[in-house]
Amino acid sequence: MASLRTTRRDSRLLRYLILGTWALVCLVPVAWFLSIGLRPRVEIITPRPIYWPTFSLDAWHMIWEDWPMARYLRNSVAAIFGSVLIDLVLAIPAAYSLARYQYRGRDDIAFYILSTRMMAPAIVAIPIFFLFRSLGLLDTVWALMIVYAAINLSLVTWIIRSYMLDIPKELEDAARTDGASDLRILWEVIVPAIRPGIITASVIAMIFAINEFLFTLLIASTPNAYTMSVALANFTGGSDGVIYNAIALVAFLAFLPVFLVVLLIQRHLSRGLTMGAVKG
Amino acid sequence: MARIELRNVEKRWGAVWGVRGVNLDIAEEEFVVFLGPSGCGKTTTMRMIAGLEEPSSGEILMDGENMNGVDARDRDVAMVFQGYALYPNMTVYENIRFPLRMRKVPRSQHDALVRRAAEMVQLTELLDRKPGALSGGQRQRAALARAIVRQPKVFLMDEPLSNLDAKLRQHMRVQIRHIQRDLRITTVYVTHDQIEAMTLADRIVVMRSAEIQQIGTPDEIYNDPANTFVAGFIGAPPMNLVEGGIEGGVFRAPGLEVPLPGRGDLGRVILGFRPEDCAVSMDGGELRGCVYGVEPTGDVTYLTLKAGERLIEIKADRQFRAPLDSPVQVALDPARLYLFDGETGRRIR
Ligand SMILES: Nc1ncnc2c1ncn2[C@@H]1O[C@H](COP(=O)(O)OP(=O)(O)O)[C@@H](O)[C@H]1O
Ligand SMILES: [Mg+2]
Repeated sequence: MASLRTTRRDSRLLRYLILGTWALVCLVPVAWFLSIGLRPRVEIITPRPIYWPTFSLDAWHMIWEDWPMARYLRNSVAAIFGSVLIDLVLAIPAAYSLARYQYRGRDDIAFYILSTRMMAPAIVAIPIFFLFRSLGLLDTVWALMIVYAAINLSLVTWIIRSYMLDIPKELEDAARTDGASDLRILWEVIVPAIRPGIITASVIAMIFAINEFLFTLLIASTPNAYTMSVALANFTGGSDGVIYNAIALVAFLAFLPVFLVVLLIQRHLSRGLTMGAVKG
Repeated sequence: MARIELRNVEKRWGAVWGVRGVNLDIAEEEFVVFLGPSGCGKTTTMRMIAGLEEPSSGEILMDGENMNGVDARDRDVAMVFQGYALYPNMTVYENIRFPLRMRKVPRSQHDALVRRAAEMVQLTELLDRKPGALSGGQRQRAALARAIVRQPKVFLMDEPLSNLDAKLRQHMRVQIRHIQRDLRITTVYVTHDQIEAMTLADRIVVMRSAEIQQIGTPDEIYNDPANTFVAGFIGAPPMNLVEGGIEGGVFRAPGLEVPLPGRGDLGRVILGFRPEDCAVSMDGGELRGCVYGVEPTGDVTYLTLKAGERLIEIKADRQFRAPLDSPVQVALDPARLYLFDGETGRRIR
């Protein structure tokens, strides 16, 4: 009995040790970023080691006052939320169709949708640039919204579809005999029942959109459409050289909202990720 | 309030037969029970009546109108599903109200109707709960309430009481019969429980392996089974079926010798008799065996006796007691013996 108790305690200790190490590995860069962001610029590039960092809001003031960071933030938020909204509006009916109706080529269509995700983005970069130029949408938040939505649409559709496949068919049969139309079944029965899936898909889409860089750089050429991720690039050139503390702070600010959202909904998210992975 | 006719209805999935050659007329306001073991096609038949499944061939008519191709939502039926199928995100109240909203019943009537339905199934206290917070029996009652909340043309109930405990089930049986009588709605009810079938049905449809075995009133099914399957399915305990042969007007099997005057040589046959049509006797009987089990239940004592290698169930007097392995004799009621063909199991009349 005694030995059993020891081994159990040992294994618990081991578990904490492993998870603690893992957490440290994940968190150190974040903490480092934050510490860089909150120090004066000279201190960051000095070759001598510093034991007591100096706290400074230089970078903070700089990004808000010298740079239109509020605007970049607004662009990011608008493009990201807009794109997720577009994704949901398109993906929910598409996923429903793929999950429920029988028609020729259904599985091929489903696979095609997913396969767009496997393509290297650079391949379509140039056509997309010309497309938006002809549409007169270059350097607008609208273009970013559309591009983010397009990038994420396949994944969002796929995740939502996998959740829909898990809903017993009897539920829809019941709604049908109760007199509901297909649209009402979708809206009043299916969508509420897969809310965790919708949240999961939205968050994953948001994370991809926040981190998107290539297309944003391509489309945004002035602060008119700059987002947080592209704004980072602004701090590397110009007469001031690389402004590390501003970069670090902006990166941290871009990271924070995602981190908080994931923390809030992590229960849904982990279930959603494994479901999306196993099913389909 | 609707008449339902099934004309040679069949359903198959590739090589799997769900339902085969079903012909049935259900009268207005009739209560018909589909009875049969699991997998015999009861649910499939019901889903075809509901319009959730299209027959592979044959026709389903309601009030003389061909329903093939008519969508479930346009058939005006209310169904209780075997798996409850409650909407998980809605409260019990909202679940019960859902068909009223969909069928555009005036809003002002909703509350009264929902409460009346909930009352019938004793669910009034749980109206604010979500289905996830209910027990199996409570979910089943919520599903039942959702079906009886409005006045459809047809009620379809797929094993609506299977998850209730014995006492509540008995209560709900009586309730359902009353609801159906009061609302005067044609009802098709599916069960694998023969007691439910016997107590509820105007007529019972006994099914087995996708086919109908017999259609009849509970009395007909009990007193006049068409084959060994029906005979063995009805009754608790069911009819004893003993294989043997008839020679010179006498049925013989190990431990059993029954004179059957007027029967010629029929070769291999099966003799059936119900446990309740027997009497333990001291001074001779057709059946001789030894006591294998005695189960007093209060109002009746179940006696299992062993004749040859076969176990036979008898309903004995409630005072009956006997030590195990002691010899007993049982007299059979000559008017209540059934003969079945040894090969096909069909009744020999
Ligand atoms: N969608 C389906 N696809 C293939 N076979 C099915 C389907 N639905 C039912 N079956 C088969 O049809 C038979 C009858 O099923 P069912 O009507 O559900 O039986 P019951 O309700 O009497 O238990 C079973 O053998 C079942 O496996
Ligand atoms: Mg069934």
